[in-house]
Amino acid sequence: MAPIIQLKELTKRFGNVTAVDHFSMDIEEGEILGLLGPNGAGKTTTILMLATVIRPTEGTATVGPYDIRKNPDKVRGLLGIAFQEPKMLWVSTPWDIVNWHAKVCGLSTEERKRRVKDVLETLDMWDARRRNVHALSGGMRKRVEVAKVLIQRPKIAIVDEPTAQIDIVGKHKIWNRLLELRDEGTTLIVSTNELYEADRLSDRVGILHKGRLLVCDTPKKLKDNIPGGDIVEIQFESPPQSKIIDELRNFKEIVDIVTPEPNSLRLYLNKVEEFVPRMMNMLMKKSVPIASIRMTEPSLDDVFVHYTGLTIAEAQRGGE
Amino acid sequence: MQKPREAESEKETNKLLLVVERDVRLFFQYKFLVIMRAIWFVSQIALFGLIASRLINSAVVPDYFHYYVAGLSVMTLYSAAMFIGFDLYEEAEHGVFEYLLSLPVTRRQLVLGRSIGGGLRAFIYVGPLIAISLYVIGAVNPLNFALTLFSLFLFAFGVSGMSITIAVAIKSSDRFDILMGVLDALIVRLSTAMYPLAIVQSANPLYGGIASYNPVTFVADLFRWGTNIITLDNPLLPLLGVMIFFGTFTFIGIVIYDKRIEGGGWQ
Repeated sequence: MAPIIQLKELTKRFGNVTAVDHFSMDIEEGEILGLLGPNGAGKTTTILMLATVIRPTEGTATVGPYDIRKNPDKVRGLLGIAFQEPKMLWVSTPWDIVNWHAKVCGLSTEERKRRVKDVLETLDMWDARRRNVHALSGGMRKRVEVAKVLIQRPKIAIVDEPTAQIDIVGKHKIWNRLLELRDEGTTLIVSTNELYEADRLSDRVGILHKGRLLVCDTPKKLKDNIPGGDIVEIQFESPPQSKIIDELRNFKEIVDIVTPEPNSLRLYLNKVEEFVPRMMNMLMKKSVPIASIRMTEPSLDDVFVHYTGLTIAEAQRGGE
Repeated sequence: MQKPREAESEKETNKLLLVVERDVRLFFQYKFLVIMRAIWFVSQIALFGLIASRLINSAVVPDYFHYYVAGLSVMTLYSAAMFIGFDLYEEAEHGVFEYLLSLPVTRRQLVLGRSIGGGLRAFIYVGPLIAISLYVIGAVNPLNFALTLFSLFLFAFGVSGMSITIAVAIKSSDRFDILMGVLDALIVRLSTAMYPLAIVQSANPLYGGIASYNPVTFVADLFRWGTNIITLDNPLLPLLGVMIFFGTFTFIGIVIYDKRIEGGGWQ
């Protein structure tokens, strides 16, 4: 079956800055594609190009049978978007916003009323539906933004950081709703910089960095492909000395060592069960104070580190 | 049963009407602004109009108070219709512009809908104020006034289209704000909104020439004609002027909006 979205060397430059750099990929109908990357990776720019809000500098994309450059009106007919920043005027109310959105997307009166009530209730926004936007918290505004897509149920839904600023209960409600949307046949692009979110929602994850797609696969395959699949995280009571790190590197099981925080080390290794006792002996002999040790599976952050040499947090800070 | 093409066309018309509806609703959500402008309007009549009319020689303008009230209605309609341009900047600031551009609405529906919405809401807003004007003036020729209302409608849409055109072309809210002030000074002052054409002409023939072709002059004169304050040799000429103004700015608005907005040119 042909992909429902095809990105073909999609590129966007703002002056000398290349926000999206020859981005090519296929998105299959009915899947959730997670776009993972730090702020400034090019996720939102890609979304805005797909939504025909901004025009690519080079390349193009097809959405369904339509080219975003040649048939922008048709493309928009297939899409629904929840933006990263809630897009609403402060004098409006949640009811006005979602109700008008549902109307303009062509929902019948009966269906519109039913869906609006259902979604606003699910997202705990029903009681606040008549309040002005300026009286809502950031999380509540974000819920209204996401509600638009959940009410619309478009063929292709693009959701940019769906749960930013939302509490954990709200996050789960939104995730469940997005998964339901996928199960009903909608194709979703979920842009996020939250690893757990990408892992939980996505059928496939595309990792973006500096406007380029580094890799795209299922979360499981991405993790399995990391050499040194076992991970040990050591939390020290103070930043470890470099000679300790050097000694750790001498263990043959160690594949890589990353410093996500000044007081912690993340070790990528093989044969964790043989390695940990020997490592503990060495650290105790050297009287290195340890706060905790944790053994984990690789996360998408580890995948990100593997491909970029940076954690997402470092990349957010613009680290090299 | 409805044919698919008819159904499609009905759907598209509905979208246009929804864009109109949104702008009309939005305007009346700015309650403070609406109330303050109404107070301003009434104060202008009750204070400025009443006092200033005593300065005017009745040999020049037989009843300046009525003359001024009619002009004031047109000026208020003009500034209310101009407000849509400020909305565009407000929307750009809150990112609503991106949202509107992502909707399943064509750019033409969007600009036409906004132009009509901007004009319609100005007209709805000015409606009660015009009723006050009519009460103050006290005389209406129903048939003539129907034509006047039609011209006011077109004028409001034209001003709204002009405001959208300028807002999209300028892309800076500060510059837009300043330009609107300058335009208001030029367009309203170089018209017959506040004084008769003969007086403008006598002050400076160039001013008179400009005022003769000013759309504000056309509607102000038609308003006075519809309320029996002045007579016109041929009311169809100013009506034609208003129609040209409406057509020009609606067309230019669509073209510029299409060209500058599609694909992110507004950024």
